[in-house]
Amino acid sequence: MVLLARTRSLIRNLFCRRRLDRELDREVSSYVELLAEQKFEQGLGREEARRQASLELGGAAQVQEEVRRLRAGEWLRTFGQDLRFGGRILLHHPGFTAVAVLIFAIGIGANTTIFSMVNGLLLRPLPVDKPERLTYLLARHERWGNGFSYPDFEDIRNQTGDAFSEVAMAELFHMDGLTVGGKTHAMWSNYVTTNFFSMMGIRPALGSFLIPEADLAGSEPVLVLGYSFWKNQLGGDPEIVGQRASMNGKAVTIIGVAPEGYHGTFNLIDVQGYLPLSFAGTIGTTSVQTDSGLADRKNREDRARYVGLILARLKPGVTMGKAQSVLDVVASRLRTQYPDIHKSLALRPVRLGNGLTNSTGENPLPIVSALFLTLAGMVLALAATNLANLLLVRALERTREMAVRSALGAARARLLRQVVTETALLVLMGFAAGLMFGLGGSRAVSSVPLETDLPLMFAFPFDWRVFCYSLGAALMVALICGLLPAWRASGVDLNDLIGDRARGLSPRRHWVRSLLVISQVAGSLTLLIVAGLFVRSLHNVQHIDLGFDPDHVINFTMDAHHAGLDEPQGRQFYQQLLERAHSLPGVESASLSQAVALGLYNFGDEIKIPGYQEKTGEPRPYAGYNAVSPDYFKVLRIPILKGRGILESDTESAPHVAVINQSMAQRFWPGRDAVGEQFTLGQDPNHLVQVVGIVKDARMAELTGPIEPFFFMSIAQNYTPLQTLQLRSSGTLAAVSRPVLEMIRSLEPGLPVAEVQMNQVLDGPDGFLIFRLGAGLAGALGLLGLALAIVGVYGVVSYSAAQRTHEIGIRMALGAMPGQAVKTIFRQGVIIVGTGITLGVLAAVAIAKVVASFLVGVSATDPLTYAAVSLSLAAVALLASFVPAHRAAKVDPMIALRHE
Amino acid sequence: MPSKQVELLQGTLDMLILKTLNLRPLHGLAIAQRIEQVTRGTFQVKPGSLFPALHRMEEKGWLTASWGESENNRRAKYYALTKAGRRQFETETERWKQISLAVARALESN
Repeated sequence: MVLLARTRSLIRNLFCRRRLDRELDREVSSYVELLAEQKFEQGLGREEARRQASLELGGAAQVQEEVRRLRAGEWLRTFGQDLRFGGRILLHHPGFTAVAVLIFAIGIGANTTIFSMVNGLLLRPLPVDKPERLTYLLARHERWGNGFSYPDFEDIRNQTGDAFSEVAMAELFHMDGLTVGGKTHAMWSNYVTTNFFSMMGIRPALGSFLIPEADLAGSEPVLVLGYSFWKNQLGGDPEIVGQRASMNGKAVTIIGVAPEGYHGTFNLIDVQGYLPLSFAGTIGTTSVQTDSGLADRKNREDRARYVGLILARLKPGVTMGKAQSVLDVVASRLRTQYPDIHKSLALRPVRLGNGLTNSTGENPLPIVSALFLTLAGMVLALAATNLANLLLVRALERTREMAVRSALGAARARLLRQVVTETALLVLMGFAAGLMFGLGGSRAVSSVPLETDLPLMFAFPFDWRVFCYSLGAALMVALICGLLPAWRASGVDLNDLIGDRARGLSPRRHWVRSLLVISQVAGSLTLLIVAGLFVRSLHNVQHIDLGFDPDHVINFTMDAHHAGLDEPQGRQFYQQLLERAHSLPGVESASLSQAVALGLYNFGDEIKIPGYQEKTGEPRPYAGYNAVSPDYFKVLRIPILKGRGILESDTESAPHVAVINQSMAQRFWPGRDAVGEQFTLGQDPNHLVQVVGIVKDARMAELTGPIEPFFFMSIAQNYTPLQTLQLRSSGTLAAVSRPVLEMIRSLEPGLPVAEVQMNQVLDGPDGFLIFRLGAGLAGALGLLGLALAIVGVYGVVSYSAAQRTHEIGIRMALGAMPGQAVKTIFRQGVIIVGTGITLGVLAAVAIAKVVASFLVGVSATDPLTYAAVSLSLAAVALLASFVPAHRAAKVDPMIALRHE
Repeated sequence: MPSKQVELLQGTLDMLILKTLNLRPLHGLAIAQRIEQVTRGTFQVKPGSLFPALHRMEEKGWLTASWGESENNRRAKYYALTKAGRRQFETETERWKQISLAVARALESN
């Protein structure tokens, strides 16, 4: 009842305000008239009666205001007033408003960008049913890894029924050629057990998924397409299900399309097609061995043969701890059953989270994410202190206004509300602008060009998590920097107006502002040092001696399988390709190779050297390798130090030969001439390989770290369907590119070719990309921090200088020289900046410890970086405090004394 | 002016208004004068507190207001008790009796 009445009056108050006011006015005047009437009847004159009645009323306006103040919903009206007034104030100070909003937007924008990356890399769960219940397994042999053999998978699946409702296996993705409707597309596909999709708990967008009943040997050659592949490469053909296609030259039937948004089990890769695991060897073959894969029983039962990942879904109610104990039992069983392979086997379940990052078990992303979130957080803190300072200064400027309003009867709560409303307006505008910045930032990062054939998903969409994070950040800033000045502004003592404090001479306020500047200098220094370390590290990486010359080299990668060519046809195709390439104008030299230096594929194998015995505790001899054609060393300009390179005469039927690098010679034949020595490969123990030459060390597999043993074999003796044609051009690469592509098309019209310049390979995910991204992000954050610090230092020092104009005037009137005045103010700046830098260096040392593992060729406490950054920041900060000091000293004492 | 005029206690004004309107609907001036009359001048209700109180009580749903003609044919706003207002008056009266009794006892004891 009462509530109803309240609501009714609230609505009335809000919407019929005018009518209410009119009525109130009438009511009050009717009161006066009635009273006057009475007094008239008591015998007063008409005029006198009116006068006395009005007097007794005591001011119609005041009475009406009293009534209005009591009305329900009055706070809403005053809020509206506050809002309008706040908006007007902000409009009247466009400079202040713009700077405040900009600072706020920078802080929020930087954090939104970084968080959207972290969100994309770490937080967004896979779009599957109950993603938190999905795990993958790690196995420890010599170290932890996630590769399992097929028999191990079967054992684990059969013995973990208590922990997992579903256990599936998936081979690592690799590139295949899919010919559909007469056109061949490169396709990154994933070979999976037939229960893969039912484990994921997703439904196909079209058609059906792999049929779980079909066993390994007998399943049909079927293909499920990835959604974006179907949409983009096949034009979203609605009739695609049931179509026959050919995969690497073999017939397959397309049975379905995965749902939109589902991209497989890797967090950065969009898998384009899914096939039954049994075809891993028969259809897709990019591995060195061209055997029949899992279709072959021998391979299926080979416990030493790595096949792929094991994924498992936890049973409802089963915890990770319980799953671990079940796996412990399985591991101990496998250890006793197969002591030769599983001597030290241990198994561990890991939550799949938002997908796998790389093929090893370790994920560096959480640390990197935490690092960059910290850096972005520091930018936010800088923005907040800057904003707090700005608002504080403004609060001081408004002391007079507040005091006047309070003298006119405004309640303290009302004043506080006014200031909070204004700050909230600023925060809102800053937040909106910050979101725009963040959106732009995450778009910019998403569109970093990635020179790779991989269907990488480097996209960081803007979702509710990002929005909430930004909102949280904005609220934090608003709380930190809004309340303090608001409290001060509203708590003005009227006496302040006449006292010293009105001139900003209160030492307490100096102290607060100095603290703000100190934290700004310290924060931005930390940011800049970390940024500096990253930039130096990038510089080092880019100036690493690669050992080969990547300039003027262009790569064309293709897989003869994709055109359905078998080995003899493939050999003939590549032979013709190389011959024709040599004769193209502008081509200086040309070669074929199995892998590209620092490219996507790296090959390596255990080797056996007669007479060589590794020391106990040392791993068995291992070396990376590549199979190349004769001119390879000429194309990459790798000098042959001893013996010979690969020759035309090293044909299929000739004895197998290898050219090794210096590291390999020194490691396995120390103090001896390696040329003429022999070894065998673990995967091919029947062929004795003879060392015929030694080349200079070059970086083939990794950009950083020591150069490992590496050898080159003849590609004629080690045929592989996946080959890369590398050309060194005497002119521009663009001029060579077209004729080569036309030449390939004339030989094999449907063959997909990936063309990449060697320099772009180096910029790719296995090359500079990580370093470039890291340096770019850290550098950007550092620069933002620097800008904020300069604005902050300049603002505070120049304000305090302006406030001290009066004091300086007195001093100069008493005979102080302008130089001394400058010194006073400048000294204050020096103390503040010095303290800030000391604290900043300490903070940087702490953070740099985390960064250390991402740095190349530069120590985390690199004195040069620390000194250079500290000195430049000090110089900038002191300059920022010198300008206002200088200006203050030029003041005419008379003007200064009249100030205020 | 009577010298024994006292300040109104919090909540007393509401009760006095309710009591006054319990007999019949009245306009603002009549309410003020009636209160002054029945308390023999102890309480003088100024418009500055009368009108806010009336409006507040109206918003609470205790009173309804309507325009009517005064004794000498002038338009005035008349206030009347609602059902809720009557209930409120009863509870207020009860409460007030308890309080005054308690205070009287407290004062009478040594």
